[in-house]
Amino acid sequence: MPASFVEDRRRAALEVYEREPVPTWRRSGFWTTTLRKLRLDELEPRHYEPVEELPDIVRDHLQGDEEHAALLVQRGASTIYSHVADERIVVMPLERAVEEHPELVEPWFMKRLSHEEGKFQAASAALWTGGAFVHVPRDVQLERPIQVVWLIDEPGTAQYAHTLALVGEFAECAIREYCLAPPIEGQALHAGGFELYARPGSHVRLAHYQDWGPGEVHDISTKRVEIGRDARVQWVPVHLGGHLTKQRLDIITAEQGSDMRHTGMYFTEREEHLDLFTSDKHEEGHTTGDTIWKGALTGESRASYEGLIHIVPGAQETNTYLQTHSMLLSPKAKGDAIPSLIVETDNVSASHGGTVGELDEEQIFYMMTRGISRAEAVRTLVEGYFEEVVQRLEDPGLEALVRRRIADKLRGAEEQVREFIGERS
Amino acid sequence: MTLEIQNLHARTEEREILHGVDLVVRKGETHALMGPNGSGKSTLANSLMGNPTYEITDGRVLLNGEDLTEADPDERARAGLFMAFQYPATIPGVSVANFLRMAVNARREEPIKVKEFGGLLKENMEMLRISRDFTSRYLNEGFSGGEKKRAEILQLAMLQPDFAVLDETDSGLDIDALRIVADGVNEMRGAERGFLIITHYTRILGLVRPDFVHIMLDGRIVREGGSELADELEDKGYEWVREGVAARAG
Repeated sequence: MPASFVEDRRRAALEVYEREPVPTWRRSGFWTTTLRKLRLDELEPRHYEPVEELPDIVRDHLQGDEEHAALLVQRGASTIYSHVADERIVVMPLERAVEEHPELVEPWFMKRLSHEEGKFQAASAALWTGGAFVHVPRDVQLERPIQVVWLIDEPGTAQYAHTLALVGEFAECAIREYCLAPPIEGQALHAGGFELYARPGSHVRLAHYQDWGPGEVHDISTKRVEIGRDARVQWVPVHLGGHLTKQRLDIITAEQGSDMRHTGMYFTEREEHLDLFTSDKHEEGHTTGDTIWKGALTGESRASYEGLIHIVPGAQETNTYLQTHSMLLSPKAKGDAIPSLIVETDNVSASHGGTVGELDEEQIFYMMTRGISRAEAVRTLVEGYFEEVVQRLEDPGLEALVRRRIADKLRGAEEQVREFIGERS
Repeated sequence: MTLEIQNLHARTEEREILHGVDLVVRKGETHALMGPNGSGKSTLANSLMGNPTYEITDGRVLLNGEDLTEADPDERARAGLFMAFQYPATIPGVSVANFLRMAVNARREEPIKVKEFGGLLKENMEMLRISRDFTSRYLNEGFSGGEKKRAEILQLAMLQPDFAVLDETDSGLDIDALRIVADGVNEMRGAERGFLIITHYTRILGLVRPDFVHIMLDGRIVREGGSELADELEDKGYEWVREGVAARAG
């Protein structure tokens, strides 16, 4: 019998979901995110049996089966693979955790997420199945990462996802979520909620690796991270593919001494549409933040990044900054990079900056005078541009994966980049 | 084996800067090109390398007989031409070592062996008194003026071009750094290489003695001579050159 706190929430969320129309997000300027083309009625949760062997696409993205503290794979609506290598931690489908560890789940479940934020937030709160629950108890230090994989591999799939992660006091760990899809012909939806609570004194390295491939996968997700007293979270979201992505990422320094380092990247191509909003919210004073987001666009893709620093009343002695850059690599791509700031107290240090630019012809010329071809110069400059973010993954295997994907995308776009950059010279 | 500049005219979008420059550098020779600010020295260097900011409207650039006037910068480099920049670009995310390896490999069929590259790099870094951690830094990012110039000379040493143009490599260097750079250049002088040292001041020419000196004024070479011309210029200044040109014209 599922715990009532979950059922109550599902009922309330379902009401909101059924009441709310499919939203369109508009902002001043050229920017609109619309789900006009999403045929929501034709999508449904798909269930699968557990497997012994990991699907190829999952295996290709992880670095060996034994390289984890725990691994959980959800395909469509079902958890298909679950393995915990370290007995000190709890990693299991959230569905099961609700029954087996209600005392751990209930105080935190949707503490920072709300089903009233919108139709799709309500959808994931009402309709999630499987799910992921992570608990790293107090003082536990993990050397290997906890990995959670969300897989969509059939058109027509609606995946309602929910991850709840608790990292106890003074615990240290790395958590990675992968969102993966092979090329699929047709539409699919991932509507997700992610919440992480880093308890006092803990240290969490969190990575989100999203590559939904060239199919029509729509991702509408909300991810939220709360950092407790003197705790530290390094969060690296990496967006490498998705037909339409609308995400809100919030990182909250909730208690004194909490520290965030938030470093993200995206690389859009073809006709992808990416709409990201991030906020660094300082709810207490004496907290620190450091946000860098970098993007590159090819093809006719659209990418909008808006990053907000929000310092609430009383959060004095906060020290934070946000930088965002967007690099256009094709004449038909459109992007923006909007930093913003709400400071409701005094005695803080907060700075922000955003640029949208193209490759620098002087840098290309410089490299060419060393015998390096224009194509290689461009590739090297774009790879170098992302390097600052990639290195913050602090994991050689994952870093190599991201570098490889950046190189793939640049190879795929070589012709248009050459035309674009060539035209200007 | 020569670098030949024939009747070179070059312009920016706004105006013509070089009004017909002729200059021949043979292998084994070191030439100095001197001139006041705005005389066209850097334009000449950049035009030689094919900088797209400048358009060559007349004349030719020949390297070992091959016409490079229309060639892209990377072709010129692979043909054996090198320029040390006055203001080298910053290349974020690319370490000095990786950049050098890329540049070395750009002119080879087979990539250089790791060990061979390491040995070559170590040797040249010792010559230029560059510390070891230098190679893992991103190229020119956060470099001091002196470090940038040394990184340029390190590239020169690694690439071993037939002809090297040094564009105001001496500017902004203190005397110790200048001496290191000059020693590096002297080390690389020899029968197999020609140098064109572009400078405003005679300071570096005391350390790297040129075989020939050319003085440029308003986009033309107006005086030529041996290294004694640099000494004379040191005494008398560019006004003296300008007056001489005016007198001849008058």
